[in-house]
Amino acid sequence: MGNDDYMLIRSVLAGEKDAYGLLVARHSQSVFRVAFRITENEADADEVVQEAFLRGYRKLQDFDARSNFGTWIYRIAMNCALDVLNKQKSQTAVPIAQDYDSELPTVQLADRAAGPDRLLLSQEIETRRHAAMGKLTPTERVAFVMRHMEDHSTEEIAGALGIAPNSAKQAVFRAVQKLRQSLAPLWVRS
Amino acid sequence: MKHFTEEEMIAHYYSEGFSKAEAERHLQACPQCAQAYADLSKLLGSMPASDLPLRDSEYGAQVWQSIQRSLQPYEPKQKRRFYWPRFAYAAACLLFLAGAFRAGRMWEQAHSKPLVAGAEQQTKQRVVLFVLDSHLDRSERLLVQLNHAGGEADDVDFRLQAEAQQLLSDNQLYRQSAAQANDPLLNAALDHLERVLVEVANSGSELTSRDIASIQKEMNTPGLLFQIRVLRARVSEPKTNAHAIPKGANT
Repeated sequence: MGNDDYMLIRSVLAGEKDAYGLLVARHSQSVFRVAFRITENEADADEVVQEAFLRGYRKLQDFDARSNFGTWIYRIAMNCALDVLNKQKSQTAVPIAQDYDSELPTVQLADRAAGPDRLLLSQEIETRRHAAMGKLTPTERVAFVMRHMEDHSTEEIAGALGIAPNSAKQAVFRAVQKLRQSLAPLWVRS
Repeated sequence: MKHFTEEEMIAHYYSEGFSKAEAERHLQACPQCAQAYADLSKLLGSMPASDLPLRDSEYGAQVWQSIQRSLQPYEPKQKRRFYWPRFAYAAACLLFLAGAFRAGRMWEQAHSKPLVAGAEQQTKQRVVLFVLDSHLDRSERLLVQLNHAGGEADDVDFRLQAEAQQLLSDNQLYRQSAAQANDPLLNAALDHLERVLVEVANSGSELTSRDIASIQKEMNTPGLLFQIRVLRARVSEPKTNAHAIPKGANT
């Protein structure tokens, strides 16, 4: 697969633009997956996918033959998703009333650890989870998504974000702390 | 007893940082940490990845349709850029061929007398030529492999490096002998070969097809391969003659 990708890249650089279409077809699903995990919005994720492949095409001359195209475009997609989040953060002021704090009435759900229902989060929990994710900084969010949902190692997260492994670890730690603060009131110990 | 920090518990949840067995032992022994860890696990366990919206198999084609108009094709500049160097390379090869032919003729004339020397000298020469021919044969095979490895494939056979290391020490001895024997052609070829062998042998574990392509280009390994073949032909001929008993020789 990797070798085929490299052949396609060589074709693109030799002037065969359509060869890039095959790369897009091959990697668009995985790029969409990470884009959606980070943005949590379908339209934004689609936009990220397009932007990532556009940037990838323009930077293709810098692609290192020893690298894996899938990993490379994945990183570009993450950066595009980060840009979308940063843009949203700067444009949107979160109304204070929507922010969760201890004064808001908490939904007290009985812990049904043994039942299959536990696997299905209620609409309320999903809304709060989404809001809690929105309170993370873009770096924390990407680090958490990569660690918790995509199961990447600290080194991979650090590489993707261009930060030191310890900083990546701290970003995951801060994300979990924040999520804990936001979501802990939802749980009642059995 | 020192309790776990929140950071340590998170690291343990993601199986990072410290010994899993050690952490499990502590959690069994410390109810306070066990409860805190259970709460954390419950929270993180309730955070599954949100359901991915479906994208069908045509999704890639749709993405491509939406971006392809804004992409300019890359210009294949390399072809034009390499036109003159290729021409020069071909001319250099022709020049080298003519030079090698002439040098071979001169060498043949210069070394025709020793072939009719005494039996002891002939035996010694046979051994030397046999060993040198074997060395050149191995070198030729390595260069052929090297020239093929510099193509498109990512996978490089790392036995090349081991072989280059073995050949390198032998080659140094042959080159010194060639220098002492005042054989400039052989000396020059072995010197060239030695530089290539040093490059390949010392490339470390990161030797890639791109590195090999670079070695091929910078060190003109196709030219060297040709040199080695000429030398082999030159070495094989006297060796064959040496096997035959010269007319008039005493047995």
